[in-house]
Amino acid sequence: MNYRNLSINELHELLVKKEVTPLELAKEAIRLAKEDKNNAFEYIMEKEALEIASKLTVPEANNPLWGIPFVIKDNFSTKDVPTTASSNILSGYVPLYDATVMTKLLEAHAVPIGKTTLDELAMGGTGTTGHLGTTFNPHDKSHTRYVGGSSCGSAAATAAGIVPFALGSDTGDSTRKPASFAGLVGFKPTWSRISRFGLFPFTPSLDTVGIFSRNVKDSAYVLNVLAGRDEKDSTSSTKPVEDYTSLVGKSIKGLRIGVVKEILDTLKDKNAIDAFNKSLEGFKEKGAIVNYVHIPTEILSSLLPTYFVLSCAEATSNNACLDGIKYGPYYDGKTYEEVMMNARTKGFSELIKRRFVFGSYALMSENKNELFIRAQKNRRRIVEAVNKAFEECDVIYTPAAPSVAPKFTDSSDRLSDEYLIADNHLVLGNFAGLPSITVPIALINELPYGANLMTKAFEEKELFMFASVLEDISGLKNLVAKEDK
Amino acid sequence: MEFEPVIGLEIHVELKTKSKMFSNAPVLFGKEPNTLVVPLDMAFPGTLPTVNKEAVIYAIRVCNALHMSIDHELHFDRKNYFYSDLPKGYQITQDKRPIGSEGYLEIVKDNKEVKRINIERLHIEEDTCKQLHFNTFTLLDYNRAGTPLIEIVSKPEMRSGEEAMKYVEKIRSIVVFSGVSDGKMEEGSLRCDVNISLKPLGSPVFGTKVEIKNINSISHIQKAIDFEIARQSKILNEGGSIRQETRRYEDSKKETILMRVKTDAVDYKYFPEGNITPIALSDEFINNAIKSCPELADSKKDRYMNNFGLNEYDAGQLIMDKDISDYYDEASKHTKAYKLLANWVNVDVISYLNKNNISIQSFPLSAIRLAELVDMVSSNDVNSNQAREIFNKMISDNLSASEAKKALGIVSQISDDEFIKKVINEVLDEFPNSIVDYKEGKGRALGFMIGQVMKKTQGKVNPKLTNDLLLEELKKR
Repeated sequence: MNYRNLSINELHELLVKKEVTPLELAKEAIRLAKEDKNNAFEYIMEKEALEIASKLTVPEANNPLWGIPFVIKDNFSTKDVPTTASSNILSGYVPLYDATVMTKLLEAHAVPIGKTTLDELAMGGTGTTGHLGTTFNPHDKSHTRYVGGSSCGSAAATAAGIVPFALGSDTGDSTRKPASFAGLVGFKPTWSRISRFGLFPFTPSLDTVGIFSRNVKDSAYVLNVLAGRDEKDSTSSTKPVEDYTSLVGKSIKGLRIGVVKEILDTLKDKNAIDAFNKSLEGFKEKGAIVNYVHIPTEILSSLLPTYFVLSCAEATSNNACLDGIKYGPYYDGKTYEEVMMNARTKGFSELIKRRFVFGSYALMSENKNELFIRAQKNRRRIVEAVNKAFEECDVIYTPAAPSVAPKFTDSSDRLSDEYLIADNHLVLGNFAGLPSITVPIALINELPYGANLMTKAFEEKELFMFASVLEDISGLKNLVAKEDK
Repeated sequence: MEFEPVIGLEIHVELKTKSKMFSNAPVLFGKEPNTLVVPLDMAFPGTLPTVNKEAVIYAIRVCNALHMSIDHELHFDRKNYFYSDLPKGYQITQDKRPIGSEGYLEIVKDNKEVKRINIERLHIEEDTCKQLHFNTFTLLDYNRAGTPLIEIVSKPEMRSGEEAMKYVEKIRSIVVFSGVSDGKMEEGSLRCDVNISLKPLGSPVFGTKVEIKNINSISHIQKAIDFEIARQSKILNEGGSIRQETRRYEDSKKETILMRVKTDAVDYKYFPEGNITPIALSDEFINNAIKSCPELADSKKDRYMNNFGLNEYDAGQLIMDKDISDYYDEASKHTKAYKLLANWVNVDVISYLNKNNISIQSFPLSAIRLAELVDMVSSNDVNSNQAREIFNKMISDNLSASEAKKALGIVSQISDDEFIKKVINEVLDEFPNSIVDYKEGKGRALGFMIGQVMKKTQGKVNPKLTNDLLLEELKKR
């Protein structure tokens, strides 16, 4: 039987009825993972998965994740399983402990199939900069298109139907952007809702765990397991965990959809515009009120530079531990400086080094006020603008990307009017720490295209409600890339 | 020309909390290298710091003892630099908002002058790992990595080696008595860096600052500073100029030695620690931290003098060592003879400890047993020579005072007034000439009569009491 396009719910029913066993599902996922042609995997956890799955013999009817296979981005610490963050500086690194999200999924008896590729150290949005090279978009068999990043491998594995859900991370839009390109639901929670313990830090105040799935309710199921206070992450929220599936499918009649005029105005791709407008009509038909809300263009244009300054500065510091002394490949040297310099020169790609240089530059005492402090202040202005927009709506609704997944050969000026805002605005959710979800809304020439919803802090339940309505409007549920021939 | 030294101190104090500043690894000394380490201490990617509450309580106690204002919100920052002893590539510290600011302490100089030294800040941070350098390699011990530290930064208000030494002694006493640190310079649990410059007397302009690092005993502080003042004065008087440099003190040569010349100050690229959100400290939390602080040396000294009637010297001796004063406090719950007790602790106990080279913790005689012995002496049950014999017996045979006395066959002194008076009158009746001799001022007579009383009682009567009663009885004759 083919399980590739089944949802967590559908698999759960089969598992409970014993029409399939966790071991069979794991074996099938491992087979697909081994056949993967998109460069989605850093490491296939064959031995571990089979061992875990073979112990799952008594179905748990009330546990939707029981026996469900999943993959996890390779920037989550996994005990005894190599973890590289797709960087040579961590080649051969085998962590001593599990990230809290990994522990929680194992305790829920989900079955890990593998560690997935990412842009090196999660810094990048193309899925092309990891040490194993480019990760491809499964919806394009000719391998000419980006899947997006940084959570490229998790997006590719879920879109290819290898697993029904995957964990990514999201610092700028690293889960929600690839979700748009890969026809997936891509979710990031309120900052602090899911423990970050064991997630390799990029920019702690922006970093969140991300969830990929092929329908909205599946994401809610996974959040039900992952959400909650963790003593190991002192920034994790003590707010009680809710049932995040409880409003899925409920009516949004009378609720206000806020469309950010200034973002929509930068959308140039005609098909994307049409798809978005069509979904707006759909919302209206469902009884929602569409309000145009405002975030000044000046604020939106500042998102990328602000993000770049803050994230590079913090990343420089967060990755200073990678010095070749404690773990990862050791390169010799006469002094400790030489040992560190050799490791960091050989271990990081040019792109990463450039970001570190920039991050250091932004923090140097002579530049700090002009760059780092100014970016911090601007972040506060951004958050104020988002909060103001929420005065006139219950959810902010925007296109998730300028277009469908671009081709590798598309030359584009990332700072042009077409890209500066439409390609970067999802970071609003990270700056403000708000829950945000990308849902596919159209297939344009057989390529998926997504839109994004964002609610106020800790309104995950409501977010999934809006998202499920959008899924209903588009009819694009459980989308799977065509199988490789 | 005459110069005025300008001296400021930065003191790092290791806190003796149960676990590390940001991880749950235990804080212990002298353990096998790299056995007290969890992934966070070695900066394994993805680990996150959690703030040690006990360390915050300790920091608050010291802030309070130093009369500082205490920040009601805890903020942490990162200090970024690459060094082999720094696992994360940054140290978590408090840059912008130290927990304590604007405090002071008072030192008493040898000439009894009291001087107030202002303190700029006290902040919480974490220790680095320990390095052992060899010719061709370096070994790293992560047991120390992440040990909680407080750094206390004085204003540059000290003017001599003596003042600096008194200042460090005072800080040491505070951290030890408040129970937050061992405060052992030799073991590195209290570390002191000195900043010193000279300026022409009365000049408002500061000279070039020299830093002296790695001073490992309190007495070396004074020696190092005195040497440095002389060294810098000589250079300046000869028309030279002072380089900005880091030096260390070499006790074998009694001089400071150049470690490195400082060029530009290192840019630590401080920014807020994103993995720890600011923590509100309630008034209740802060007050409890202060209330639960063990009694400090100054307060103990006052109490010994005002409540126990000790003189300043005895009280001062007792508070030289926290454990000794704790022992005294414990014993003082079981006897009212506070002065006598202080003598016993300051003389007999201390000399026993010194002779056997042990600390009070290993002293075999419990405080309550010493109190029993002191009571015996104070009630004239035994005389002081007998008491010393008993003291030794108690230690050697692990006995209580009464057990030791019995074992030694010491019989209680007779302190029954009526009985002693009866014997005295017998003696006076027998030796009327002695009464005459006494009245004529012959001093010998008194001793003779006491001797006769002793003879009649086999030496069991209390000598002092006998003396007093004899004088009384003589008046009646």
